[in-house]
Amino acid sequence: MVTPSTIDKLFNMDTLVKEPAAKATISDTPSTTPKTMDQHTQPSSAASTPSATETKPVIEIDNVSFSYDNGKTNTLRDISLDIAPKQVTAFIGPSGCGKSTLLRCLNRMNDLVETSMISHGEIRIMGQDIHAKDVSAIELRKQVGMVFQKYNPFPKSIYDNVAYGLRIQGIKNKSKLDEAVEKSLRGAALWDEVKDRLKTSALGLSGGQQQRLCIARTIAVQPKVILMDEPCSALDPIATAKVEQLIMDLRQDFTIVIVTHSMQQASRVSDRTAFFYLGELIEYDETNKIFTNPAEQRTEAYISGRFG
Amino acid sequence: MHTGGHILDSFNDSLTEFKSTTLMMGSAALRNLDNSIRGLIERDKTLCNQAIAADDDEDLLELEVDRQGMAIMLKYRPVASDLRLVIATMKISSNFESASDLAVSIAKRSRKIIKGQEIPRVTAIEPLYELVSTMLKNAVTAYSDLDLNQAIALINQEEEVHKMHKKISRKFSREVENECPEYREYLNILFICRWLERIGELAIDIAEEVVFAASSEDIRHSDDIPSSVLEAAANQTNQA
Repeated sequence: MVTPSTIDKLFNMDTLVKEPAAKATISDTPSTTPKTMDQHTQPSSAASTPSATETKPVIEIDNVSFSYDNGKTNTLRDISLDIAPKQVTAFIGPSGCGKSTLLRCLNRMNDLVETSMISHGEIRIMGQDIHAKDVSAIELRKQVGMVFQKYNPFPKSIYDNVAYGLRIQGIKNKSKLDEAVEKSLRGAALWDEVKDRLKTSALGLSGGQQQRLCIARTIAVQPKVILMDEPCSALDPIATAKVEQLIMDLRQDFTIVIVTHSMQQASRVSDRTAFFYLGELIEYDETNKIFTNPAEQRTEAYISGRFG
Repeated sequence: MHTGGHILDSFNDSLTEFKSTTLMMGSAALRNLDNSIRGLIERDKTLCNQAIAADDDEDLLELEVDRQGMAIMLKYRPVASDLRLVIATMKISSNFESASDLAVSIAKRSRKIIKGQEIPRVTAIEPLYELVSTMLKNAVTAYSDLDLNQAIALINQEEEVHKMHKKISRKFSREVENECPEYREYLNILFICRWLERIGELAIDIAEEVVFAASSEDIRHSDDIPSSVLEAAANQTNQA
C-alpha cells in the first residue's frame, strides 16, 4: 500500500500552488476546513443522505456557469453539486447536455480552448478554488487524473507508459519505479496479463488492455480523483465488464466521476448519479433512487428512453 | 473461454444472495408446516404458536426477495438463463409464502381442535402430511439444484396427491356422518386436509417454475410434459 510519506508529498495542498506559500490565497493544509464551504448545495428536491453531509466533499461545484465563447452563451448554467470522497458519481444525460464539458472543467482540460471561461461560480477541489490565479493546472491534473473515451497509451513500452508520470516528477530510482509500476498494473487488473512483456510496445495490447493500461498510468501518480469520460464505449462487452469491475475495486482508494451513455452502467457502478439536460443539472441523488423512482419527470423520461 | 461466474463480482453475489433468501423461505415454510401438524397430533399448543409467529418473518422475506429481484433486473439486465432464474425465483418465493400461510391456517385450526375433545383418529392424517411435506422438501431441492428430473417427478405426483386427499378426507367425513361425539373436531380436520392438498399443489407449481428456469419451456396449464423437457432432463442425468 502507499506509505504515509508518499501521501504527504503528493497530497500536500502547497504543491498545487506555483508561487511560495506567502502569496497563496489558501495556505491551509488539506485537513483544515475552508471557511466558505457549504456542507451541501443540491438543486434537486430529493434529500441528500445524512452520511454525505458529515464527510467533507472532495469536489464542490458551486453555482458554476461555463462558456465556450467568452461568455456570450453559457454551455453550463448554475451547476451546484458536491462529490463526497471515495464514491463513484455518474454524469448522465443526452448528447450535448454538458456532462463532458463539466467533467473537463474539473481538471481544467477546457483551458485548452482559448475562448472558454467560467462565467460565474467556483469549482473547489479539496477546498481549493482550482481556477485561482496561483493554482498550477499541471499540478491540478496530477491530483485529478483522466481516462478518455478512446484509450490513448503513449507509443512507448508498457513499463514506460506507467512510469512516465513518476519519472517526470523526478523519481529515478529503478527499484522504486519497478515497485510503483507493478502496484499500478495490479491496481488496474492488468499485471498478470503483461508482467512478462513489460518492455514491449503498449500498442500491441488489445483495446480493453490498452484502456486498463491508461487507468494504470493514471493511478500511478496517486491522484485524489479519477475522471472517466465514457471509458467503455470503445470496448467489447467482456472488456467493459472488466473495466466496470475495476472501477468498483478502485473506489476504495479514489474518488471517481464517470460520464456514461449507458444507463445500466451508471446503475451498476455508481453510488450517486447526476442527470443533466441542456446545460442544467436536473436531478442529483442516490443512484438507486434515480433509477427506481426519480423525482423529476424529465429524469424518468430520459432514463426510460422516452426522449433524448 | 472462461465459463463460470460473471466477471462482475457484484452480479454473482447478488444472484447468490437472491437464491439463498428464497431457499430460506422454503425451509421456513417446511418448518412451519411441520410444527403445525405435529402440534395437532401431539396436542401441543406451543408448536402451533411457533408456526403462526414465524409467518411474519416469511412475509418480510417475500418482500426482500422481490426487492432483490427487481434490483438485479435493473442493474444487470440479465438475459437467457439468468433472466429465467430471476423471474422463476420471484414466483417460487411467492409460492413458498403461500405454503407458509397455509401452515398458519393449519396451526390456527389445530389450536382450536386441541382445545376440544381428544380425537383418536387424528393420526390418519399422517400419510397425507408426509406425502405433502416430502413434496415440498423435494421442491426446495429441485429449485436449489435446478434439477429437471426432480421437478418432473413432482409434477407426476399430481394424481397421487388428489387421490390421497380424497381417501383420507373420506375417513374423517365418515366420522362426521356417523355423528360421533367429536364431529366438530373432525370437521375442522377436513379443512386441514384440504390445506395440505393445496400445499402439495404449490409444490407442483414450484416444480413447473423450475422446469421453466432450467429448460425455458413454460409447461403451466398443459397436460403433458414436452419431449424437449424430457430430453433436457435426460441430459442432466448424463452430465451428473
